[in-house]
Amino acid sequence: MSQSAAVDGAGISSSIASSVEKTYLEQYNYDIVKKFALMAIFWGIAGMSAGTYIASELAWPFLNFDIAQITFGRLRPLHTSGVIFGFGGNALFATSYYIVQRTCQTPLWGGKLADFTFWGWNIAITIAGIGYLFGITQGREYAEPEWYVDLMITVVWVVYFVIYTMTLLKRNQPHIYVANWFFMSFILAVALLHIFNNLAVPVSFFGVKSYSLFSGAQDAMTQWWYGHNAVGFFLTAAFLGMMYYFVPKQAGRPVYSYRLSIIHFWALSFMYMWVGTHHLHWTAIPDWTSTLAATFSIMLLMPSWGGMINGIMTLSGAWDKLRSDPVMMFLITSLSFYGMSTFEGPMMSLKSVNALSHYTDWTVGHVHSGALGWVAMVTFGSFYHMIPKIWNTTIYSLKLVYIHFFLTTIGILLYITALWVSGIGQGLMLRAFDEYGNLAYSFIETVVFMHGPLVARAIAGMFIVTGMFFMTYNIWMTIAKRNTVTDEATSAAKA
Amino acid sequence: MSDKHEVTKDPITGAETTGHVWDDNLQEFNNPLPRWWLWAFYGTIIFTIVYWVIYPSWPTGLAKDGFIPGTSTLTFKSDKIEDGKKTIAAGPEVTTHWNTRALLAVQMQTDPNELKRQTMVKKVAATPFETVAKDPQQSAFVLAYGKGIFGDYCAACHQAGGQGVIGHYPNIIDDAWLWGSESADIETTIRKGRKGNMPAHKASLTATEITEVSNYALSLSGEPVDTALAEKGKGVFNTKGCSGCHMPTGVGMKALGSANLTDKIWTQANVPGAKDMAAKVTAVEYVVENGIQREMPAFESRLSNDEVKVLVAYIKLLSAE
Amino acid sequence: MMKHESIETNAALLIVLTLAAISIGGLVEIVPLFYIEGTVEDVKNEDGKDAVRPYTPLEQLGRDVYTREGCYTCHSQMIRPFRDEALRYGHYSLAAESQYDHPFQWGSKRTGPDLARVGGKYSSAWHTKHLMAPRSVVPESIMPNYPWLMDKLDITNVQGKMKALKAVGVPYSLSKIEFDANVEKFGEDVAKKLDINAAEVNIEAQSKLGNFDGDPDNLTEMDALVAYLQILGTMIDFSKHDEAEFVKFR
Repeated sequence: MSQSAAVDGAGISSSIASSVEKTYLEQYNYDIVKKFALMAIFWGIAGMSAGTYIASELAWPFLNFDIAQITFGRLRPLHTSGVIFGFGGNALFATSYYIVQRTCQTPLWGGKLADFTFWGWNIAITIAGIGYLFGITQGREYAEPEWYVDLMITVVWVVYFVIYTMTLLKRNQPHIYVANWFFMSFILAVALLHIFNNLAVPVSFFGVKSYSLFSGAQDAMTQWWYGHNAVGFFLTAAFLGMMYYFVPKQAGRPVYSYRLSIIHFWALSFMYMWVGTHHLHWTAIPDWTSTLAATFSIMLLMPSWGGMINGIMTLSGAWDKLRSDPVMMFLITSLSFYGMSTFEGPMMSLKSVNALSHYTDWTVGHVHSGALGWVAMVTFGSFYHMIPKIWNTTIYSLKLVYIHFFLTTIGILLYITALWVSGIGQGLMLRAFDEYGNLAYSFIETVVFMHGPLVARAIAGMFIVTGMFFMTYNIWMTIAKRNTVTDEATSAAKA
Repeated sequence: MSDKHEVTKDPITGAETTGHVWDDNLQEFNNPLPRWWLWAFYGTIIFTIVYWVIYPSWPTGLAKDGFIPGTSTLTFKSDKIEDGKKTIAAGPEVTTHWNTRALLAVQMQTDPNELKRQTMVKKVAATPFETVAKDPQQSAFVLAYGKGIFGDYCAACHQAGGQGVIGHYPNIIDDAWLWGSESADIETTIRKGRKGNMPAHKASLTATEITEVSNYALSLSGEPVDTALAEKGKGVFNTKGCSGCHMPTGVGMKALGSANLTDKIWTQANVPGAKDMAAKVTAVEYVVENGIQREMPAFESRLSNDEVKVLVAYIKLLSAE
Repeated sequence: MMKHESIETNAALLIVLTLAAISIGGLVEIVPLFYIEGTVEDVKNEDGKDAVRPYTPLEQLGRDVYTREGCYTCHSQMIRPFRDEALRYGHYSLAAESQYDHPFQWGSKRTGPDLARVGGKYSSAWHTKHLMAPRSVVPESIMPNYPWLMDKLDITNVQGKMKALKAVGVPYSLSKIEFDANVEKFGEDVAKKLDINAAEVNIEAQSKLGNFDGDPDNLTEMDALVAYLQILGTMIDFSKHDEAEFVKFR
């Protein structure tokens, strides 16, 4: 191992290294991390509020108010893009830029280029989001932005890749830390998926409309290869990267198993790309693709759980933190939800289960147990760790973190349960036969049935959004506190 | 410390680290893969391989149909197509590799619950309605059948109870049928659909004439109208084309779907819902002025002839209730 | 495990190997769909012409409205081969039926019913009434009202749209040769509707004839959307096909 260290020219004595590190610390580009982190919170509130609103529209349809721009069909992409690319994307930019600098012990490469990714990314989502309200969409789930936004995203993404790679290349550490493997895998996969799924021919150079290059079955296959890996790489691999840094940091303990990291990283990266077709079970897609998707989904279970084990077991020797540290509670709960939804996912990808769950709220509930339980919670935990660090202060109120934690947890549990009831209930009703082999229910009866669970789900959303406001206030006060401290120091110096 | 590559032993768990350190204190234990995890992983791989052997799996240009079809097979009867007519499951048996479509074919031909449905449909279709109505098993089947099919196919227009929407979709649980009330008429209505068309008269009649003829139309079902106006309206009715479709007596004609004006049933003008006589006249006037365009879709591509017969029985039971 | 040392100390190698790992799945699952025969079934009418045709310009504009409003967020267009779906919606969907769908709109959620075979199920007047105010005909419905669909249909760029669709493979015709090829493939009646040069005329004719929104004087988005809904799932006459015909290739 020392050989590899020598190759990288890092064979220096520890005392020098520590002074060098101090220098680097001062040179880390925290400005960009701050921008992305604050933007993530903004998009979190916007995207989750939109989600709660459309959930309410399903429960109380008068909320559509006959206004085209706010009908369910147009707001829904705003919700999904807002939370996935707005909240999730900004959170990933923030944490990946933070982690790559600290674990490579080098400032971010490219200087102002990082700002370009910030403005480019957020302007792209804003343009796309406003477009949805006016009906500008490709009609592809999670890939709704039209061609010109797709091009912007592509450029931003290439720059992101270059910044990340160059920072890795000039690292002052012989080894690339496991978090960075996951971030790199995420960057590469998203590039691949984004480009191929958005192949389209614009109607005109000055118009917004385009038509997808593929059609029908092939288009469906490409879309769900993309769609599921938006989950696999955007919402899983990348957030595992986040987890691999913040869990051991917050716990103050080493990662549980290096060997498990290796196996589950490669297995996850390889296998995820096969499973998208499980969104197309029983459709007009050939059965052989379904089989491959179902089996790879099953094989993906253990590699997915590898991340959960590595995260949770990292706490061995520091279990008491689960009681005393709300930040740790966020992180470990997120891993529990991650484990739960990565178990539920392979089950739902079995054809027989999928026959029931597909097209119902069960799928929506499953996505949210991942997106809220895992993605949002690991982000909250990481932010509560990172934000005081980058502003060089401490958190304003741990009590508010507790409140945020409980609001979020209650919200998610209510959400998932409501949609289990709604989804499984609707699925069972639609396939119910009476003793004579007749359909037992008409479709509209299932809509009536779903009203109760849909109301509960909307209320669950309100819990989560309320939690977001507590977080925002807490972080606002944390940053303000830091400013006060600095101001006092300055005035003291003047005096 | 970046350069430190010393393996250390954790005092709490006794596990060894790899010796890599990042960002001051980030380290990794070199714990082995958890046993249960590894075995579970192997388990899923074995499951997968078995699955691949049984079901269609890997694509290959060399194998039949371009993919490995798997060992599992399904057998079902194909359909017979003769002279452009299809008889379901009357053709030779077909055996294919397992696939989702063949699975449905097998199920439709062997599932006991489904076979029961098919038998009952045949039985009810071949039995006169009066007998069906008296037979508790058959009428129970008809009600159960109708609940689902009527709910998905018919209720969108005629509403869940069959009462329709005045001004748009006729009530089908009263005795009045625009296109004939015999079972055969109703069957044709469902199978082939109907297109009703009453021309608008705002150009061909004056406002006065419209008021007069509306009063007359209302008088036909015994509404207490202005008799003088109605008398004038009778002339309009007989000379300006109304009687051509509605017949001189106003009883309508089932071949055209023209309404019987002598019963108290209104499908277009909301006479029953009008608060006073003036409102009733206004409602009828509106229909005379603007005419009627109505369309009942054809269901023969969705429902077999036998199924239509069961549906008719359902509608009759519904109106009898 | 020590071999992994060489990957995690070499960023370029890490990138190359990761790229390899993530590329295989997509290649194996997507590429064969373009060359395995029967992935998209070849369904012919009795006269030997293709049963499934591209959308007429009016229907395609209606489809654009369908996409714009995000109908796919609540309605699927993909009937699965299940007994309950067969009874409720009709014959399962074939890949052939969405072969001209750019993009596909199979959907992933049924907050409302599947629409793959909604064509001809309800009258156009019903669709118009239902889209304007769903609860006026289905009291329990939770669908939004779409009153703005009575706005004028924008047909200014219909030829541009058809040309873009032609570029991605939809057989709309511009030249005489392409028109003749369509006559051969779909028959003359259909071929005329697929002629880009006659797009505006065809829209006018179809909307007048169909009078989808009940307002013959104005060409509205409702006309286009209902024309599209009314064609969904109606192109193949399943009473002329043996089930075994569709089973082979799955």
